[in-house]
Amino acid sequence: MAVLPTEKHTSPATPHTRGGFGGWLLDPKRRGALLVTPAIAILFVMNIFPLMWSFGLSFFNYKASSQRVPRFQGLENYQDVLTDDKVWERFQTTAIIVGSSVILQLIVGFLLALLFAKAFPMRRIVLMLVLTPMMLSFVSVGVFFKLFYEPTFGVVSYVLNKISSEPFVMLGSPEGAIAGIVIADAWMWSPFVMLLVLAGLVSVPKYLYEAAEIDRASKWRTFRTITFPYIKSLLLLAVLFRTIETFKLFDIVYIITEGGPGSSTETIAVYLYRTAFQFFKTSQSSALAYIVLFIVIVLTNLYLYAVNRRAAEVD
Amino acid sequence: MARKHREIGKAGWGYTAVASVIGFIYFFPVFWIILTAFKTRTDALAVPPKLIFTPTFDNFVSVFYRASITTGTSQATDMGLYFFNSIFIAFTSVGLALIVGTLAAYAFSRYPLRGNDTYLFIILTTRMMPPIVVIIPIFLMFRLSGLAGSYWGIIFLYTAFNIPFSVWLVKSFFDELNPEIEDAARMDGATERRVFFGFCIPQILAGLSATFVFGLILTWNEFLFALLLTGVETRTVPVAMARTLGGEVGVDYGLLAAIVTLFLIPIFFVTFLLQNQLLRGVTFGTVKK
Amino acid sequence: MKTPNLKRTLMGATILAAGLNAAPSFSADITITMAAPDWPPTRFMKEHFDQTYTSPDGHTTTLDMDFIPWPSFYERVAASLTSGEQKYQMIVTDSQWLGAFVEGGYYLNLTDRINEDPELTAIMQDLHPALVSAYSTYPHRTRAQLEEAGVVPAPGVNYYGFPQFPDTYVTFYREDIFCHEGEMAAFQEKYGTNLPCTYEDWQDTDWEKWGQIGEFFLREAGDELAGETLSEPFYGIAYQAGKGYDFSTMQINAFIWQNGGDIWDESKAPEAQAEGVVNSDAAVEAFDQYLSFLQYMPPVAKTGQMDIFVEQDLYMQGKVGAIIDWVGLGEPVLDPNASTVHDKSAFGPAPGTRKDDGSIDRTGNIGGQPFVLTTWNSDEVVNEALNVVKWWLHPDTQIEAVKNGGQSGLMSVMASPEYNDLRPWNRAHVEMIDWQKDVWHIPEFFEMLTQQQEEFDKAITGQIGAKEALDAVAEFQQELLEDIGMIE
Repeated sequence: MAVLPTEKHTSPATPHTRGGFGGWLLDPKRRGALLVTPAIAILFVMNIFPLMWSFGLSFFNYKASSQRVPRFQGLENYQDVLTDDKVWERFQTTAIIVGSSVILQLIVGFLLALLFAKAFPMRRIVLMLVLTPMMLSFVSVGVFFKLFYEPTFGVVSYVLNKISSEPFVMLGSPEGAIAGIVIADAWMWSPFVMLLVLAGLVSVPKYLYEAAEIDRASKWRTFRTITFPYIKSLLLLAVLFRTIETFKLFDIVYIITEGGPGSSTETIAVYLYRTAFQFFKTSQSSALAYIVLFIVIVLTNLYLYAVNRRAAEVD
Repeated sequence: MARKHREIGKAGWGYTAVASVIGFIYFFPVFWIILTAFKTRTDALAVPPKLIFTPTFDNFVSVFYRASITTGTSQATDMGLYFFNSIFIAFTSVGLALIVGTLAAYAFSRYPLRGNDTYLFIILTTRMMPPIVVIIPIFLMFRLSGLAGSYWGIIFLYTAFNIPFSVWLVKSFFDELNPEIEDAARMDGATERRVFFGFCIPQILAGLSATFVFGLILTWNEFLFALLLTGVETRTVPVAMARTLGGEVGVDYGLLAAIVTLFLIPIFFVTFLLQNQLLRGVTFGTVKK
Repeated sequence: MKTPNLKRTLMGATILAAGLNAAPSFSADITITMAAPDWPPTRFMKEHFDQTYTSPDGHTTTLDMDFIPWPSFYERVAASLTSGEQKYQMIVTDSQWLGAFVEGGYYLNLTDRINEDPELTAIMQDLHPALVSAYSTYPHRTRAQLEEAGVVPAPGVNYYGFPQFPDTYVTFYREDIFCHEGEMAAFQEKYGTNLPCTYEDWQDTDWEKWGQIGEFFLREAGDELAGETLSEPFYGIAYQAGKGYDFSTMQINAFIWQNGGDIWDESKAPEAQAEGVVNSDAAVEAFDQYLSFLQYMPPVAKTGQMDIFVEQDLYMQGKVGAIIDWVGLGEPVLDPNASTVHDKSAFGPAPGTRKDDGSIDRTGNIGGQPFVLTTWNSDEVVNEALNVVKWWLHPDTQIEAVKNGGQSGLMSVMASPEYNDLRPWNRAHVEMIDWQKDVWHIPEFFEMLTQQQEEFDKAITGQIGAKEALDAVAEFQQELLEDIGMIE
């Protein structure tokens, strides 16, 4: 089970004073640092070091497919990427997809949470129906949604063809293709939002509602003053995590539309993949990736700043 | 935890019926995938789409056996090994991330360093990077260190992916605990070890379970790194699954659906078992009172 | 390393290990690890190797194939090569990748070895020149250039690969409806020409008739088809028009070449231009013709997703009368488990453009894959790998491969009397192979291909016209190729 391994671990803190290196290391002053070390060490080796490596690469003109000795060229890659119209187009597409998908996830996730906030017989089982989508692989979600949309074989198309006289070709237009991707992604991840919101809803002490009932507070007022404060921070966490993850959306797009029609659904993650792995512009793709990272960091910080400020105001 | 949360009102079977219908509509794509696992290729692509058909188990057999080209005899596909790999790698790395992450979270919560928030943010940042960028350095590193194709390589990598999430979530649980109780315990002569294991951990067990399930869900289906960094012996199911996506025919819908269905079972089971902890855990950690 | 022990212990403890078969371990002198896509032609190679191969040099040789799923094959190979992992001794590769990986220093130049080894020289002489041009040469040399030299191997040409699975596209069609008397009569009456039923009829089928077939068989639900009432719409024709990989370029190139247009010709670099060639009037006209047939195809064609597998599925599910698709995708069509038309299918050459003299030009873009050797192996390993090449390209092996769903590139094998009857599409394949040319081999091919597929996709989905698409392609290629010095 999840938590058992923790108990096997010997505590790094001992009350006895020892001499030498061991004593120095186990000094209570350093306890915090000591506890953080394993996490930082693994992160350093597996994440931070490769990140720095590709950061270095981004200043060269290295191509993984070429034997030429890489030449240092300063900020040229960054300049190239930032002045490339294609890149801006990809960013816009990504913004549209991330924006609409996260909003849809919030709405659907919230509604589902309301549905499951009440206790009812067999809730545990019914809830599993809704939780399952996020346990599927991106690949299988992409493949089957593509099949659902397929004009001849697809279930969705079949049903819609019965209603309308025009054959249903969802992925034939840029708007339809974006909708197709957003629906698949939102379907998969709304349960995640639901889980967080639900956790908030369930935690509201019942006596607060009873008090509200006695005060004859309106439903909206009850929601705003009692329910919302409990789910707010979780909702914010959901937005944060889903935005970060959706920004990286790759497999679903690549499988459902491959960026088409034309380049209308090509997200920055797909473009990055092409530059790095199909075009072998290793250095340039590193530069682009760092720009993406920078944007995500700025967005996250703005977001956290806004949240904290609001929290300060409320307090 | 002994305290039981009370839900907003209680509802009866009528509510169950309504919720089941909505739940089933939401579940329908998954249901369709599971149905497809029992269909022949012709049935899977039949127009109009078939809800009623003669089920076949051929797809499930094909998950584990394939016919030889030359002799027609059946050969094992190694899918059993891949299922083992997926389970072993995911559970180990998520567990490891939880242990390491809990220690770090405890430190961040109880022994704040200067610039604590910055460290926490840097840890989160590693999750924001599009994974494609670090692939070439990691690939190179794995080759140099001999980790390529080994279990430990991919396990450490997944551990690293799960640490940010674990640290952030678990820290929020520790933050919610009342430090006065811990101090009181220390006054009574409890060792640090006892404070940690005796007081803190038991109180956040539900939160740890929730973190574990989240980590598992995020790791279970990882594809790109598994494709590039696992060898023939350590390949995971999502990579092996890709063989159904094209070759001599396009997507082998039945076979893909069969693998997806089988692969869903372990994680579905774990989530079902820990469902209550999942809800309580998340709540407990992050709701400000 | 502790890993194997750990693994064994854990595996012993789990029931999942029960289904495993341990790989047999020989005390092998030489192990050749080969990266191969996971599909029947490579599976056959491995199985047949294990059954028949003995090293002429007395080695104990193991062919260790790393079967990688097709859709991820390129990524896996590219990552392995560029990281310097040096894991593979042989690699199955798309011909387009030659430039990128030769320039990277990963694929072994075999020119000298071919020259020095009479057996290899003989093999190269027996291989169809279109295949040698496409699968083996870098910098790319056209078939005409190779034949001009008069000798094989041609002087000044660098050779790399050998055919693993040579592929061409042919017509798959429904005999039951194309040879239905009522339909034939109706077609004759409407268009004043015959509905192609026999192989010979298809030899005389040009694009004009292809369009007529599309129009003729466009049927609504409730209409009659070959004497039966349809419950779903039916379509006459389909060919590739997909955004992925090269799933429209391969067909569009055929139209362009047949119409007298051209793609940027790397064999004439640096003089050959992109601007004015790629978007020449002939090319635009050809592309327009290609686009004009999409209206008769199943509605998925409007989404730019009609790839080689989608059209195959539509055909196998009986939704379309005739498709143009790779021979390599033929086998499932005959499989009763996968195909509803397994007993109703026949195969003919792909349609072409009728020339003034009445003959039909079928120039097409070659498919399939060669395999190559890598650069980091000892002479002993290279020699043994070449022994494997000789074994694979031995007529006996090749005939066996064809019997098991493969194709051969050897002219002597293709000429053998039994060849045409081994698989139903073989006659069409042999006829088509003579018409094959290839797309670019330069390292930048993927960038060019992706941009081109994107513009083609816009035209296919009706966002822009043929001229606009080809202008954009030409402009992009001109700039890119000038940048890298391929155009001066």
